[in-house]
Amino acid sequence: MFTGLKVLLCDDSLMIIKKMSDVMRSLGVGIVQTALDGEQAVKLYKMGKPDVVFMDQVMPNKAGLVALQEIIDYHPDAIVYMLSSMGTIGKREEAEKIGARDFLQKPVTSDDIKTVLEDVVKELANKKQV
Amino acid sequence: MLTQLFGNYLMKQHLVSPSHLIEALRESSSTRVKLGVLAINAGLMTPAQVDEVHELQKHMDKRIGDIMVDSGYLTSEQIAVLLKAQKSGHLILGQSLIDNGHMTTAQFAEAIRQFKLDNSINDIDFNDVKDELTEKMLGRFYKLNSKVTGEEHLVEYVSLLFKNLIRFVGDDFVPNKVEKLDSTASGAKQRIRNGLSAITIIDADENTMVEFASRFANESLTMNDEYTKACISEFLNLHNGLFAVKLSHSEGIELELEPQNYYEQMDLSELGNLYVFPVSFTFGNINFIVAM
Repeated sequence: MFTGLKVLLCDDSLMIIKKMSDVMRSLGVGIVQTALDGEQAVKLYKMGKPDVVFMDQVMPNKAGLVALQEIIDYHPDAIVYMLSSMGTIGKREEAEKIGARDFLQKPVTSDDIKTVLEDVVKELANKKQV
Repeated sequence: MLTQLFGNYLMKQHLVSPSHLIEALRESSSTRVKLGVLAINAGLMTPAQVDEVHELQKHMDKRIGDIMVDSGYLTSEQIAVLLKAQKSGHLILGQSLIDNGHMTTAQFAEAIRQFKLDNSINDIDFNDVKDELTEKMLGRFYKLNSKVTGEEHLVEYVSLLFKNLIRFVGDDFVPNKVEKLDSTASGAKQRIRNGLSAITIIDADENTMVEFASRFANESLTMNDEYTKACISEFLNLHNGLFAVKLSHSEGIELELEPQNYYEQMDLSELGNLYVFPVSFTFGNINFIVAM
């Protein structure tokens, strides 16, 4: 179901990058790109136009919400999910205002990720039909 | 969290030695709490009555519960209720100590009674004890004063830390008092800003870090390499993040976190006021440090 999907993972933690990559592999996601900070994430987004981005908040060289803003400025339809331990009321509101699809509070399970990807696949299919 | 505080209590009262406590915690996962301990904990039987029933069982081919009912100590309804408490951490710990011969049933019963009395606990089941009370106990344990400026959030911080340790690493630990602190620390570090200015650190030796990271990441790690360090750092980031979420809901405070990192030989002398929360896991000692 996810073989045609291109995902960008953005987190400064090697552990999260590895765990999330493992989840993507087990779900059969076609292409997985990784970025270790916000700046790299924006760059990779512009280069590769992934279908969906998972974005951490607390990162060096550009925090997640700043990177989110730049991605949305560049591509208003970008599908970006915040994935962070910092799901405070303020950060959630800010993420929603900028245009994140949702704020996923760490820790997440592979089922949580699967549900998100299913939504993304549906949305992409609908867009194609239109 | 009460189980961990109770474990320290047993040690502090010299009822068990640190090594026996560690041994009992290690064996807790395979320990089943027996009916006698459950009945004593609920105040339905005395240690002497339990010993008597155990003595009787040696000469009979009957289940202990049946003997308790036959002797008129318990009804079968009471037994059914008691068995539900079989998963209580402090009872498992006690049973494990009794099974290993480090405590008698009577000593355990007395320790529980005194512990409850000292801490104004009325509930039979520790799971029913209110968070507020455990937070207060933990604050007292680490000598924190919520009325002192700067310390008001530390009790919440440590209490959540204990919950996160139990949730993500394991419950086989006890809190400890600070004995002596080295002038340097090696481990994960993260700064908290906005509304609370603090530097948080996880400090432990390499072997302890490897085991801690293995459990947190649910993988078998063997050395303190970049990945292990990333796991330790991520635990700190996760805990601090969850703390920020909690404060944003309870007090409307929006903390900021700086990216976490792992450092060798951090100089602690320049970090200001140090609050150290030592924790002894069955696999090693960890200092959680908050500098303010």
